Amino acid sequence: MIRVALPVHLRTLARVNGDVTLDIEGAVTQRSVLDALEARYPMLRGTIRDHVTLKRRAFIRFFACEQDLSNESPDTPLPEAVAKGTEPYLIVGAMAGG
Amino acid sequence: MEGQRRLKAAKVLLIGAGGLGSPLGLYLAAAGIGHLGIVDFDVVEFSNLQRQVLHTTPDVGRRKTESAAAHLRAINPEIQIATYDTRISSANAMELVRPYDIVIDGTDNFPTRYLVNDACVLLGKPNIYGSIYRFEGQVSVFAPSAGPCYRCLFAEPPPPGMVPSCAEGGVLGILPGVIGCMQATEAVKLILGIGEPLIGRLLLYDALEMNFREVKIQRDPQCPLCGERPTLHELIDYEQFCGVRGQEAPGAPLESDFEISVEEVKARMDRGDDFDILDVRNPEEWQICRLEGARLIPLGELPARMQELDPSRELVVHCKGGARSAKAVELLRQAGFVNVKNVRGGISEWASKIDPSMPKY
Ligand SMILES: [Zn+2]
Repeated sequence: MIRVALPVHLRTLARVNGDVTLDIEGAVTQRSVLDALEARYPMLRGTIRDHVTLKRRAFIRFFACEQDLSNESPDTPLPEAVAKGTEPYLIVGAMAGG
Repeated sequence: MEGQRRLKAAKVLLIGAGGLGSPLGLYLAAAGIGHLGIVDFDVVEFSNLQRQVLHTTPDVGRRKTESAAAHLRAINPEIQIATYDTRISSANAMELVRPYDIVIDGTDNFPTRYLVNDACVLLGKPNIYGSIYRFEGQVSVFAPSAGPCYRCLFAEPPPPGMVPSCAEGGVLGILPGVIGCMQATEAVKLILGIGEPLIGRLLLYDALEMNFREVKIQRDPQCPLCGERPTLHELIDYEQFCGVRGQEAPGAPLESDFEISVEEVKARMDRGDDFDILDVRNPEEWQICRLEGARLIPLGELPARMQELDPSRELVVHCKGGARSAKAVELLRQAGFVNVKNVRGGISEWASKIDPSMPKY
Protein backbone atom coordinates (compact mmCIF):
# COMPACT_ATOMS: atom_id res chain seq x y z
CA MET A 1 0.00 0.00 0.00
CA ILE A 2 1.37 3.37 -1.07
CA ARG A 3 0.48 6.63 0.64
CA VAL A 4 0.29 9.74 -1.50
CA ALA A 5 0.04 13.25 -0.02
CA LEU A 6 -1.73 15.70 -2.31
CA PRO A 7 -1.85 19.51 -2.07
CA VAL A 8 -5.13 20.83 -0.64
CA HIS A 9 -6.55 22.06 -3.95
CA LEU A 10 -6.07 18.62 -5.51
CA ARG A 11 -7.56 16.90 -2.46
CA THR A 12 -10.59 19.14 -2.97
CA LEU A 13 -10.71 18.23 -6.63
CA ALA A 14 -10.39 14.51 -5.92
CA ARG A 15 -12.79 14.87 -2.99
CA VAL A 16 -10.52 13.12 -0.49
CA ASN A 17 -9.37 13.96 2.99
CA GLY A 18 -5.81 13.33 4.12
CA ASP A 19 -3.40 11.07 2.28
CA VAL A 20 -4.60 8.86 -0.55
CA THR A 21 -3.72 5.17 -0.36
CA LEU A 22 -3.12 3.11 -3.46
CA ASP A 23 -2.37 -0.52 -4.14
CA ILE A 24 0.16 -1.02 -6.87
CA GLU A 25 0.92 -4.21 -8.71
CA GLY A 26 4.51 -4.65 -9.77
CA ALA A 27 7.29 -2.08 -9.54
CA VAL A 28 6.62 0.98 -7.41
CA THR A 29 7.91 3.90 -9.45
CA GLN A 30 6.81 7.50 -9.82
CA ARG A 31 5.15 6.55 -13.07
CA SER A 32 3.23 3.59 -11.61
CA VAL A 33 2.13 5.63 -8.59
CA LEU A 34 0.93 8.55 -10.72
CA ASP A 35 -0.76 6.20 -13.20
CA ALA A 36 -2.60 4.48 -10.35
CA LEU A 37 -3.52 7.82 -8.80
CA GLU A 38 -4.95 9.16 -12.05
CA ALA A 39 -6.78 5.91 -12.76
CA ARG A 40 -8.48 6.11 -9.38
CA TYR A 41 -9.07 9.87 -9.57
CA PRO A 42 -9.47 10.76 -13.26
CA MET A 43 -10.20 14.37 -12.35
CA LEU A 44 -6.51 14.73 -11.40
CA ARG A 45 -5.41 14.06 -14.98
CA GLY A 46 -3.64 17.12 -16.33
CA THR A 47 -3.24 18.75 -12.94
CA ILE A 48 -0.01 16.99 -11.92
CA ARG A 49 1.36 15.85 -15.26
CA ASP A 50 0.74 17.26 -18.69
CA HIS A 51 -2.23 15.52 -20.35
CA VAL A 52 -0.27 14.58 -23.42
CA THR A 53 3.43 14.36 -22.57
CA LEU A 54 2.85 13.07 -19.00
CA LYS A 55 5.69 15.34 -17.89
CA ARG A 56 5.58 16.89 -14.44
CA ARG A 57 4.01 20.31 -14.54
CA ALA A 58 6.45 23.11 -13.69
CA PHE A 59 4.45 24.24 -10.63
CA ILE A 60 4.41 20.75 -9.07
CA ARG A 61 7.24 18.85 -7.37
CA PHE A 62 7.60 15.29 -6.13
CA PHE A 63 9.34 14.26 -2.91
CA ALA A 64 9.80 11.12 -0.83
CA CYS A 65 11.90 10.47 2.26
CA GLU A 66 12.89 14.17 2.25
CA GLN A 67 14.47 13.83 -1.19
CA ASP A 68 13.43 15.78 -4.26
CA LEU A 69 12.48 13.28 -6.96
CA SER A 70 11.07 15.84 -9.36
CA ASN A 71 13.77 15.42 -11.94
CA GLU A 72 14.40 11.70 -11.42
CA SER A 73 13.46 9.23 -14.10
CA PRO A 74 9.78 8.26 -13.70
CA ASP A 75 10.79 4.60 -13.90
CA THR A 76 13.34 4.57 -11.08
CA PRO A 77 11.99 2.49 -8.19
CA LEU A 78 10.80 4.59 -5.26
CA PRO A 79 12.48 4.14 -1.85
CA GLU A 80 11.42 1.01 0.01
CA ALA A 81 9.81 3.06 2.77
CA VAL A 82 7.42 4.49 0.15
CA ALA A 83 6.77 1.08 -1.41
CA LYS A 84 5.93 -0.26 2.05
CA GLY A 85 3.73 2.70 2.88
CA THR A 86 5.71 3.85 5.92
CA GLU A 87 6.69 7.08 4.17
CA PRO A 88 4.34 9.02 1.86
CA TYR A 89 5.02 10.07 -1.69
CA LEU A 90 4.61 13.85 -1.60
CA ILE A 91 3.08 15.85 -4.41
CA VAL A 92 3.73 19.50 -3.64
CA GLY A 93 2.22 22.40 -5.53
CA ALA A 94 3.15 26.06 -5.81
CA MET A 95 0.98 28.33 -3.70
CA ALA A 96 1.07 32.11 -3.49
CA GLY A 97 -1.28 33.19 -0.72
CA GLY A 98 -0.14 35.53 1.99
CA MET B 1 23.67 42.57 24.20
CA GLU B 2 25.69 41.87 21.09
CA GLY B 3 22.65 40.13 19.63
CA GLN B 4 20.41 43.09 20.41
CA ARG B 5 22.94 45.42 18.80
CA ARG B 6 22.90 43.29 15.65
CA LEU B 7 19.13 43.34 15.52
CA LYS B 8 19.17 47.10 15.91
CA ALA B 9 21.62 47.47 13.04
CA ALA B 10 19.60 45.19 10.75
CA LYS B 11 17.62 46.47 7.76
CA VAL B 12 14.69 44.25 6.85
CA LEU B 13 12.22 44.83 4.02
CA LEU B 14 8.79 43.37 4.56
CA ILE B 15 6.86 43.06 1.31
CA GLY B 16 3.15 42.86 2.10
CA ALA B 17 1.47 43.96 5.32
CA GLY B 18 -1.30 41.40 5.15
CA GLY B 19 -1.72 37.90 6.57
CA LEU B 20 1.96 36.96 6.69
CA GLY B 21 3.13 40.55 7.11
CA SER B 22 1.10 40.95 10.30
CA PRO B 23 2.88 38.44 12.57
CA LEU B 24 6.15 39.27 10.82
CA GLY B 25 5.80 42.96 11.58
CA LEU B 26 4.68 42.41 15.16
CA TYR B 27 7.50 40.05 16.10
CA LEU B 28 10.24 41.84 14.17
CA ALA B 29 9.28 45.16 15.78
CA ALA B 30 9.12 43.54 19.21
CA ALA B 31 12.50 41.91 18.59
CA GLY B 32 14.00 45.34 17.98
CA ILE B 33 14.87 45.17 14.28
CA GLY B 34 16.38 48.63 13.82
CA HIS B 35 15.17 49.43 10.32
CA LEU B 36 11.97 47.98 9.02
CA GLY B 37 10.69 48.77 5.54
CA ILE B 38 7.06 47.94 4.74
CA VAL B 39 5.70 47.79 1.20
CA ASP B 40 1.96 47.58 0.59
CA PHE B 41 -0.43 49.43 -1.70
CA ASP B 42 -3.68 48.21 -0.16
CA VAL B 43 -6.14 49.58 2.37
CA VAL B 44 -7.43 47.68 5.39
CA GLU B 45 -10.78 45.96 4.82
CA PHE B 46 -13.10 44.27 7.31
CA SER B 47 -12.55 40.93 5.62
CA ASN B 48 -8.80 41.22 6.35
CA LEU B 49 -9.17 41.35 10.12
CA GLN B 50 -9.75 37.59 10.50
CA ARG B 51 -6.08 36.95 9.69
CA GLN B 52 -4.27 40.30 9.38
CA VAL B 53 -3.88 40.82 13.11
CA LEU B 54 -1.63 43.85 12.71
CA HIS B 55 -4.71 45.89 11.79
CA THR B 56 -7.76 46.54 13.94
CA THR B 57 -11.38 47.52 13.35
CA PRO B 58 -10.75 51.29 13.60
CA ASP B 59 -8.10 50.89 10.87
CA VAL B 60 -10.62 49.79 8.24
CA GLY B 61 -10.24 52.12 5.26
CA ARG B 62 -6.74 53.19 6.30
CA ARG B 63 -3.62 52.53 4.20
CA LYS B 64 -2.09 49.27 5.38
CA THR B 65 1.36 50.84 5.53
CA GLU B 66 0.06 53.64 7.73
CA SER B 67 -1.87 51.29 10.01
CA ALA B 68 1.10 48.92 10.26
CA ALA B 69 3.55 51.69 11.10
CA ALA B 70 1.30 53.07 13.82
CA HIS B 71 0.82 49.70 15.52
CA LEU B 72 4.48 48.74 15.24
CA ARG B 73 5.63 52.10 16.67
CA ALA B 74 3.30 51.50 19.59
CA ILE B 75 5.05 48.19 20.24
CA ASN B 76 8.56 49.58 19.80
CA PRO B 77 9.06 53.35 19.42
CA GLU B 78 12.82 52.80 19.05
CA ILE B 79 12.69 51.23 15.61
CA GLN B 80 12.83 53.15 12.34
CA ILE B 81 10.01 52.33 9.99
CA ALA B 82 9.98 53.29 6.34
CA THR B 83 6.67 52.83 4.56
CA TYR B 84 6.24 52.45 0.82
CA ASP B 85 2.60 52.91 -0.07
CA THR B 86 3.03 51.48 -3.54
CA ARG B 87 2.60 48.30 -5.53
CA ILE B 88 6.01 46.69 -5.94
CA SER B 89 6.72 46.38 -9.66
CA SER B 90 9.51 45.77 -12.11
CA ALA B 91 9.93 49.55 -12.25
CA ASN B 92 10.60 50.07 -8.54
CA ALA B 93 11.61 46.68 -7.07
CA MET B 94 15.38 47.10 -7.41
CA GLU B 95 15.30 50.52 -5.72
CA LEU B 96 13.04 49.23 -2.95
CA VAL B 97 15.14 46.16 -2.20
CA ARG B 98 18.64 47.62 -2.61
CA PRO B 99 19.00 49.42 0.77
CA TYR B 100 17.97 46.36 2.80
CA ASP B 101 19.94 43.35 4.12
CA ILE B 102 17.10 40.87 4.15
CA VAL B 103 13.81 40.67 2.25
CA ILE B 104 10.74 38.89 3.58
CA ASP B 105 8.16 37.82 1.04
CA GLY B 106 4.69 38.23 2.50
CA THR B 107 2.98 38.85 -0.83
CA ASP B 108 -0.17 37.14 -2.01
CA ASN B 109 0.13 36.43 -5.71
CA PHE B 110 2.39 34.66 -8.18
CA PRO B 111 3.58 37.64 -10.26
CA THR B 112 4.83 39.44 -7.14
CA ARG B 113 6.49 36.30 -5.80
CA TYR B 114 8.52 35.86 -8.98
CA LEU B 115 9.29 39.59 -8.99
CA VAL B 116 10.54 39.55 -5.39
CA ASN B 117 12.58 36.40 -6.06
CA ASP B 118 14.22 37.83 -9.15
CA ALA B 119 15.03 41.18 -7.54
CA CYS B 120 16.59 39.38 -4.56
CA VAL B 121 18.71 37.08 -6.72
CA LEU B 122 19.85 39.96 -8.96
CA LEU B 123 20.83 42.01 -5.89
CA GLY B 124 22.19 39.04 -3.91
CA LYS B 125 19.77 39.48 -0.98
CA PRO B 126 18.38 36.61 1.07
CA ASN B 127 14.64 36.18 0.57
CA ILE B 128 12.68 34.62 3.39
CA TYR B 129 9.84 32.89 1.64
CA GLY B 130 6.51 31.94 3.14
CA SER B 131 3.31 31.10 1.37
CA ILE B 132 -0.11 29.86 2.37
CA TYR B 133 -3.23 28.38 0.84
CA ARG B 134 -6.37 27.29 2.67
CA PHE B 135 -4.89 25.01 5.37
CA GLU B 136 -1.35 24.60 4.07
CA GLY B 137 1.83 26.60 4.18
CA GLN B 138 5.38 26.53 2.86
CA VAL B 139 8.51 28.17 4.24
CA SER B 140 12.06 28.37 2.94
CA VAL B 141 15.01 30.72 2.78
CA PHE B 142 16.23 31.51 -0.70
CA ALA B 143 19.80 32.68 -0.30
CA PRO B 144 21.50 33.59 -3.56
CA SER B 145 24.54 31.38 -4.29
CA ALA B 146 24.04 29.40 -1.05
CA GLY B 147 20.90 27.57 -2.19
CA PRO B 148 18.06 27.42 -4.67
CA CYS B 149 15.76 30.30 -5.56
CA TYR B 150 11.99 30.25 -6.03
CA ARG B 151 12.41 29.62 -9.75
CA CYS B 152 14.61 26.59 -9.05
CA LEU B 153 11.69 25.21 -7.07
CA PHE B 154 8.80 26.21 -9.30
CA ALA B 155 9.99 27.10 -12.78
CA GLU B 156 6.55 28.38 -13.74
CA PRO B 157 3.40 29.44 -11.92
CA PRO B 158 0.15 27.49 -12.34
CA PRO B 159 -2.16 28.84 -15.03
CA PRO B 160 -4.42 31.57 -13.67
CA GLY B 161 -7.42 30.11 -11.92
CA MET B 162 -5.97 26.65 -11.39
CA VAL B 163 -4.87 27.36 -7.83
CA PRO B 164 -7.15 29.99 -6.30
CA SER B 165 -5.69 32.79 -4.20
CA CYS B 166 -6.55 33.17 -0.52
CA ALA B 167 -8.91 35.98 -1.39
CA GLU B 168 -10.87 33.57 -3.58
CA GLY B 169 -10.40 30.26 -1.81
CA GLY B 170 -10.43 31.42 1.79
CA VAL B 171 -7.75 30.68 4.32
CA LEU B 172 -7.61 29.51 7.91
CA GLY B 173 -6.99 32.80 9.73
CA ILE B 174 -4.38 31.32 12.06
CA LEU B 175 -2.35 29.83 9.23
CA PRO B 176 -0.47 33.03 8.27
CA GLY B 177 0.32 33.39 11.98
CA VAL B 178 2.10 30.03 11.99
CA ILE B 179 3.94 30.60 8.72
CA GLY B 180 4.74 34.28 9.37
CA CYS B 181 6.23 33.43 12.77
CA MET B 182 8.50 30.86 11.13
CA GLN B 183 9.62 33.47 8.59
CA ALA B 184 10.32 35.89 11.45
CA THR B 185 12.35 33.17 13.20
CA GLU B 186 14.47 32.67 10.08
CA ALA B 187 14.99 36.43 9.73
CA VAL B 188 16.23 36.77 13.31
CA LYS B 189 18.49 33.71 12.90
CA LEU B 190 20.04 35.17 9.74
CA ILE B 191 20.65 38.50 11.45
CA LEU B 192 22.19 36.89 14.52
CA GLY B 193 24.06 34.27 12.52
CA ILE B 194 22.79 31.49 14.74
CA GLY B 195 21.38 28.03 14.10
CA GLU B 196 20.74 26.26 10.86
CA PRO B 197 18.97 28.49 8.34
CA LEU B 198 16.23 27.00 6.19
CA ILE B 199 18.39 27.23 3.07
CA GLY B 200 18.00 24.34 0.64
CA ARG B 201 15.12 23.05 2.71
CA LEU B 202 11.41 23.51 2.20
CA LEU B 203 9.15 23.18 5.19
CA LEU B 204 5.61 22.05 4.45
CA TYR B 205 2.89 22.62 7.00
CA ASP B 206 -0.54 21.04 6.92
CA ALA B 207 -2.88 22.46 9.54
CA LEU B 208 -5.64 19.90 8.92
CA GLU B 209 -3.34 16.93 9.45
CA MET B 210 -1.27 19.02 11.87
CA ASN B 211 2.04 17.90 10.49
CA PHE B 212 5.27 19.48 9.35
CA ARG B 213 7.26 17.85 6.62
CA GLU B 214 10.71 18.90 5.56
CA VAL B 215 12.16 18.22 2.14
CA LYS B 216 15.50 19.06 0.58
CA ILE B 217 15.55 21.35 -2.40
CA GLN B 218 18.49 22.09 -4.64
CA ARG B 219 19.62 24.69 -7.08
CA ASP B 220 18.50 23.91 -10.58
CA PRO B 221 21.48 24.11 -12.93
CA GLN B 222 18.97 25.03 -15.65
CA CYS B 223 17.46 27.89 -13.62
CA PRO B 224 17.19 30.89 -15.96
CA LEU B 225 18.03 33.19 -13.05
CA CYS B 226 20.59 31.48 -10.80
CA GLY B 227 21.59 28.45 -12.91
CA GLU B 228 24.78 27.75 -14.80
CA ARG B 229 23.81 29.76 -17.86
CA PRO B 230 21.41 32.42 -16.68
CA THR B 231 19.28 34.07 -19.32
CA LEU B 232 17.49 36.50 -17.03
CA HIS B 233 19.66 39.49 -16.20
CA GLU B 234 16.99 42.00 -15.36
CA LEU B 235 13.41 42.13 -14.17
CA ILE B 236 10.71 41.16 -16.65
CA ASP B 237 6.97 41.65 -17.09
CA TYR B 238 5.63 39.36 -14.36
CA GLU B 239 1.96 39.74 -15.14
CA GLN B 240 2.68 38.49 -18.61
CA PHE B 241 4.95 35.71 -17.28
CA CYS B 242 2.13 34.53 -15.03
CA GLY B 243 -0.53 35.01 -17.70
CA VAL B 244 -2.68 37.22 -15.55
CA ARG B 245 -2.81 40.35 -17.65
CA GLY B 246 -6.26 41.89 -17.41
CA GLN B 247 -7.33 39.48 -14.66
CA GLU B 248 -6.67 41.79 -11.75
CA ALA B 249 -9.99 43.55 -11.40
CA PRO B 250 -12.84 41.43 -10.06
CA GLY B 251 -15.42 40.80 -12.71
CA ALA B 252 -12.92 41.49 -15.48
CA PRO B 253 -13.80 39.65 -18.67
CA LEU B 254 -12.39 36.17 -18.86
CA GLU B 255 -9.72 35.66 -21.44
CA SER B 256 -10.85 34.06 -24.65
CA ASP B 257 -9.52 30.64 -23.66
CA PHE B 258 -12.40 30.42 -21.27
CA GLU B 259 -15.08 31.80 -23.58
CA ILE B 260 -16.94 30.37 -26.50
CA SER B 261 -19.40 31.94 -28.96
CA VAL B 262 -22.88 30.54 -29.60
CA GLU B 263 -21.87 29.93 -33.22
CA GLU B 264 -18.97 27.79 -32.07
CA VAL B 265 -21.17 25.84 -29.66
CA LYS B 266 -23.63 25.15 -32.48
CA ALA B 267 -20.87 24.13 -34.88
CA ARG B 268 -19.43 21.77 -32.32
CA MET B 269 -22.84 20.27 -31.57
CA ASP B 270 -23.38 19.69 -35.27
CA ARG B 271 -19.95 18.08 -35.53
CA GLY B 272 -20.91 15.74 -32.71
CA ASP B 273 -18.10 16.91 -30.41
CA ASP B 274 -18.21 15.32 -26.99
CA PHE B 275 -18.79 17.94 -24.29
CA ASP B 276 -21.23 18.70 -21.48
CA ILE B 277 -23.49 21.76 -21.28
CA LEU B 278 -24.21 23.28 -17.90
CA ASP B 279 -27.05 25.77 -17.45
CA VAL B 280 -26.67 27.87 -14.29
CA ARG B 281 -29.97 29.78 -14.54
CA ASN B 282 -32.90 29.39 -12.18
CA PRO B 283 -35.55 26.66 -12.65
CA GLU B 284 -38.18 29.26 -13.75
CA GLU B 285 -35.92 30.35 -16.59
CA TRP B 286 -35.23 26.72 -17.49
CA GLN B 287 -39.00 26.27 -17.93
CA ILE B 288 -39.04 29.03 -20.57
CA CYS B 289 -36.28 27.69 -22.79
CA ARG B 290 -33.25 25.46 -22.66
CA LEU B 291 -30.47 24.04 -24.80
CA GLU B 292 -30.80 20.45 -25.85
CA GLY B 293 -28.72 18.14 -23.69
CA ALA B 294 -28.02 20.79 -21.07
CA ARG B 295 -28.20 20.06 -17.38
CA LEU B 296 -29.41 22.57 -14.83
CA ILE B 297 -27.49 23.54 -11.70
CA PRO B 298 -28.46 27.07 -10.63
CA LEU B 299 -25.41 29.23 -9.82
CA GLY B 300 -26.34 29.43 -6.13
CA GLU B 301 -26.30 25.65 -5.83
CA LEU B 302 -23.12 25.13 -7.82
CA PRO B 303 -20.55 25.17 -4.96
CA ALA B 304 -22.44 22.44 -3.12
CA ARG B 305 -23.20 20.37 -6.23
CA MET B 306 -19.87 20.59 -8.01
CA GLN B 307 -19.20 16.91 -7.36
CA GLU B 308 -22.02 16.07 -9.80
CA LEU B 309 -19.76 17.30 -12.60
CA ASP B 310 -16.85 15.44 -14.11
CA PRO B 311 -13.72 17.62 -14.22
CA SER B 312 -12.13 15.35 -16.80
CA ARG B 313 -14.79 16.29 -19.36
CA GLU B 314 -15.08 19.49 -21.36
CA LEU B 315 -17.76 21.72 -19.93
CA VAL B 316 -19.59 24.59 -21.64
CA VAL B 317 -21.49 26.83 -19.22
CA HIS B 318 -24.28 29.27 -20.01
CA CYS B 319 -26.91 31.43 -18.34
CA LYS B 320 -29.23 34.07 -19.81
CA GLY B 321 -26.68 36.71 -20.80
CA GLY B 322 -23.26 35.39 -19.77
CA ALA B 323 -22.65 37.07 -16.39
CA ARG B 324 -23.76 34.31 -14.03
CA SER B 325 -22.06 31.68 -16.15
CA ALA B 326 -18.84 33.73 -16.03
CA LYS B 327 -19.03 33.47 -12.24
CA ALA B 328 -19.73 29.76 -12.54
CA VAL B 329 -16.70 29.33 -14.79
CA GLU B 330 -14.55 31.15 -12.23
CA LEU B 331 -15.85 28.89 -9.46
CA LEU B 332 -15.19 25.79 -11.51
CA ARG B 333 -11.71 26.92 -12.47
CA GLN B 334 -10.93 27.59 -8.83
CA ALA B 335 -12.04 24.07 -8.06
CA GLY B 336 -9.58 22.78 -10.61
CA PHE B 337 -11.75 22.32 -13.69
CA VAL B 338 -9.43 23.26 -16.54
CA ASN B 339 -11.53 22.53 -19.58
CA VAL B 340 -14.47 24.85 -18.96
CA LYS B 341 -15.86 27.64 -21.14
CA ASN B 342 -18.42 30.40 -20.77
CA VAL B 343 -20.95 30.90 -23.57
CA ARG B 344 -20.69 34.55 -24.58
CA GLY B 345 -24.11 36.26 -24.55
CA GLY B 346 -25.81 33.20 -23.05
CA ILE B 347 -29.08 31.70 -24.19
CA SER B 348 -30.33 35.16 -25.29
CA GLU B 349 -27.57 35.23 -27.87
CA TRP B 350 -28.50 31.69 -28.86
CA ALA B 351 -32.12 32.75 -29.38
CA SER B 352 -31.00 35.75 -31.48
CA LYS B 353 -28.39 34.09 -33.65
CA ILE B 354 -28.99 30.36 -33.73
CA ASP B 355 -32.61 29.53 -32.97
CA PRO B 356 -35.10 32.39 -33.59
CA SER B 357 -37.98 30.08 -32.60
CA MET B 358 -36.72 30.02 -29.03
CA PRO B 359 -38.75 32.21 -26.66
CA LYS B 360 -36.90 35.28 -25.34
CA TYR B 361 -37.46 36.67 -21.89
ZN1 LIG C 1 17.19 29.62 -9.30
